[in-house]
Amino acid sequence: MTARFDAIVIGAGPAGAEAAIAAARHGRRVAVLDEQPAAGGQVWRAPVGGFAGKGDADHRAGDDLRERLAASPATTQFGRRVWSVVGPGLGRDTGFRVDALGPDGNESLEAPALVVATGAHERVTPFPGWTLPGVIGLAAATVLLKSHGAAPGARVVVAGCGPLLAVVAAGLVAAGVEIAAIVDRAARRDWAMRLPALLGRPSLALRGAMLAGRARLAGAPFFAAHGVRRAEGEEAVRRVVIGPVDAQGAPIAGQERAFDCDALVVGHGLTTACEVTRLMRAEHRYDRLRGGWMPVVDQAFRTTVEGLYAVGDGAGVRGQIMASLAGRRAGLAIAAGQGADVAQECARIDRALVRAAPFSDAMASLMAQRPAEVAAIAAGTVVCRCEDVTRGEIDAAITDGARDIDQLKHFTRCGMGPCQGRSCSDAAEELMAAALNVSRETVGRWTGRPPLRPVALGEMIGAFDYADIPIPTPAPL
Amino acid sequence: MSAARDLVVVGGGLHGCATALFAARGGLSVTLVERGALCREASGVNAGTLTMQMTRVALIPYALRAHAMWASARDWLGHDVGVVVCDGLSLAFTEREEELLAFRAGKRREAGAPIELIGAAAAQTVEPGLGEGVRLAGHCKVDGYANAYLTGLAFRRALVEAGVELREHAEAIGIEREAGGYVVKTRAAPARGRRLVIAGGVWIEPMLAWLGVALPIKVLVNQLAVTERQRPVMRTVIGIASGLLSLKQYPHGTTVIGGGWQGVGDRARGGLALRPERLIGNIRLACHAIPALKQARLARAWAGLEAETADALPAVGPIPGHPDAYVCGSVHSGYTSGLYIARLLADRILGREPELPLFPIDRLLAQPQRAA
Amino acid sequence: MTARLLARDARLVEVTIDGVAQLLPDGVMLATALAAAGALRLRASPRSGAPRGAFCYMGACQECAIFVDGALVQACRTPVAAGMAIELRGAP
Repeated sequence: MTARFDAIVIGAGPAGAEAAIAAARHGRRVAVLDEQPAAGGQVWRAPVGGFAGKGDADHRAGDDLRERLAASPATTQFGRRVWSVVGPGLGRDTGFRVDALGPDGNESLEAPALVVATGAHERVTPFPGWTLPGVIGLAAATVLLKSHGAAPGARVVVAGCGPLLAVVAAGLVAAGVEIAAIVDRAARRDWAMRLPALLGRPSLALRGAMLAGRARLAGAPFFAAHGVRRAEGEEAVRRVVIGPVDAQGAPIAGQERAFDCDALVVGHGLTTACEVTRLMRAEHRYDRLRGGWMPVVDQAFRTTVEGLYAVGDGAGVRGQIMASLAGRRAGLAIAAGQGADVAQECARIDRALVRAAPFSDAMASLMAQRPAEVAAIAAGTVVCRCEDVTRGEIDAAITDGARDIDQLKHFTRCGMGPCQGRSCSDAAEELMAAALNVSRETVGRWTGRPPLRPVALGEMIGAFDYADIPIPTPAPL
Repeated sequence: MSAARDLVVVGGGLHGCATALFAARGGLSVTLVERGALCREASGVNAGTLTMQMTRVALIPYALRAHAMWASARDWLGHDVGVVVCDGLSLAFTEREEELLAFRAGKRREAGAPIELIGAAAAQTVEPGLGEGVRLAGHCKVDGYANAYLTGLAFRRALVEAGVELREHAEAIGIEREAGGYVVKTRAAPARGRRLVIAGGVWIEPMLAWLGVALPIKVLVNQLAVTERQRPVMRTVIGIASGLLSLKQYPHGTTVIGGGWQGVGDRARGGLALRPERLIGNIRLACHAIPALKQARLARAWAGLEAETADALPAVGPIPGHPDAYVCGSVHSGYTSGLYIARLLADRILGREPELPLFPIDRLLAQPQRAA
Repeated sequence: MTARLLARDARLVEVTIDGVAQLLPDGVMLATALAAAGALRLRASPRSGAPRGAFCYMGACQECAIFVDGALVQACRTPVAAGMAIELRGAP
């Protein structure tokens, strides 16, 4: 049983939802799939589990998006795990087939157009103790605060870089959490340098959070140009040691400070979640500023694969404003392909994208991966969390002759675990490129493969009769 | 001008690596030319099964000897390929499969494979993880598996120790005869050898064409899947009568599911994509055999290429019309048998009489080769 | 210690954790409810056996994959429900 649409959108964050709304407004039959129980993506995660939400600007913006999507004729399917996508040249002549697990088991959808709006993963550059329970990402903390309605601890160290640092710290204070320390990789001048761009076109929500944060965080110990040296504890984090870092994020000599805490919230920016476009064998390029690997797209966010669009942070980390615009632009392009007159609206969006770019780039530059920070990872530190592979083992594999990332995987199991390299690939690729003194392009990426998320075999296969399994013809004897 | 070596091997899969290793250990100077890294195509991404119950009857004598080599790889290779020797079961769930199994097991038994037909209760004793509905099982104590992705690392170390000159990431773009041997062109320096072995997997067809030899090779695209780590749910290698299932759980807890269900890919682009409905079919078969697999999560699925000749028997032997040039490939279930077959070829190159016959390609040539 | 739930309207329901009865708030994401109940350690890492807990809360990292009613689920995207049998003895 296969449901057919004009377009399928994977991901109901700002980018995906806007794409669906725009295409559906022009009469296209659109299906939107998301893993979460409601639209909003990570930035505007809906409150769940009896939590009323904070009623702040983010919450209101998310509710507005959810209301507009609900009012649109687009078909929404939440709680869906997309595990397989096949497209043109990959067993089909044209169009796409998406397989997703939902409450009724596996469902297949087909459409001539596919919009990938899968957002970003958080980057955490490994340090000793980062695998301890109680150490979570900055984005994880925003999920707890905004959606799950929880504070990660009673006394928390907040560390890393970029705007999320301030947003999370402010959110924690508002939730009554004691901030043991705020540890910013950036020096104060790094923020000052970007101030014109940040104030030029900030998101209102972010500016609000930062202003509120400034007031509330006045009393919290703040360490600019510092990073986490290590997290300590037996069964969970109990203490965090920080120290000064240089402009590239590398540790430098200077006073180390220790803070007792029951949680460490840490993040070093975002990486693109471009698993679907990689699976479709679209052309990708590496852009360190905007989150690493991303599909090559044109002005309408078309990838190099016929009918495949990529919008939002998964196509380059540019933040919510540009994600929303890109989504609408792609949705309109799909509508235009089937006769709608959208030229004026597209031109307006294109101008808005140009205006939003400086703010987006300023944010992105604070969050980009710092090679020196990766180079400083200690030999004994776990890089691949799933398979417990350390920096030292990665270096040993390179000494043993590994020259690209797939070979590293075979030599060490790095990236072979259930997260399929989502947590470690950015650091592992960087370590390899640095050790071999070659580009990230030369090191390459792990081949995109299904499933896009781990899925239980029992759920995948559903109920069946043995006689109905289409067993192929036996091989010759 | 690079000096000619005694032997240049084109293709760093299992066949090429093993031939190079045995030739080097036999005293030849050897260069191995590989487009990418060693054992990263079929030899590194196959299911690693070392079974008699999926092996072609004609290859059983070879597979039995290869199995013994795999089982002792740590000793003679010097490095670990994660080989586990265990019981194997080939299952029949329907009357038709029962007939197929009885017939096929009989033929393999005649060829030397120690396969016994056993009933459901006995099969359950061999493999407590089995589900219901088994009517008959082929039981073979000569079975097991290797960890295919370790093949490249293990052979790389052994080849370096044996003094083989490795040229990885050097794609061969042409082969020519020259006085006293062959020259293999790459985008960098050419490799020269007094003798030549073409062991390029599915690519032996275009490679032989460089020498004017037309050997059609069909490209199979085998789908494979691996689960996350899971508590032990099985302890044998499981297949079915038709051969379209291979299943084993590795000591670290992951289970590899294969059986040759066809995905999407080609010689130019490799294993590109999986057909979801076939992946589901393959996994249904696996869960029917071992129901506890339903609790596992699928971690990754992929597609790898396999080469097949017109008669599905190997292409291993001299290249007609080209003295001191050989081809080695297209061994069905080649990961199981290829190790031994490569040793036979190395023996031949070293001037020793091979213990068992090779598989000369004259029978497969589509047209008479041109004089080179 | 430790994580704390913010004000909400959620009744407590009974679940078992490794066979021991425990009350958790209905509908709250399991990883969060467990953290608030003091269970930060969800499993052991495969090679070194080191303690691990929820990390990304976005469904990507798989650190919070635990057995609930015999099936491996991600605790960060599974709501608490009455009667759940939760295993924290560690993934294999």
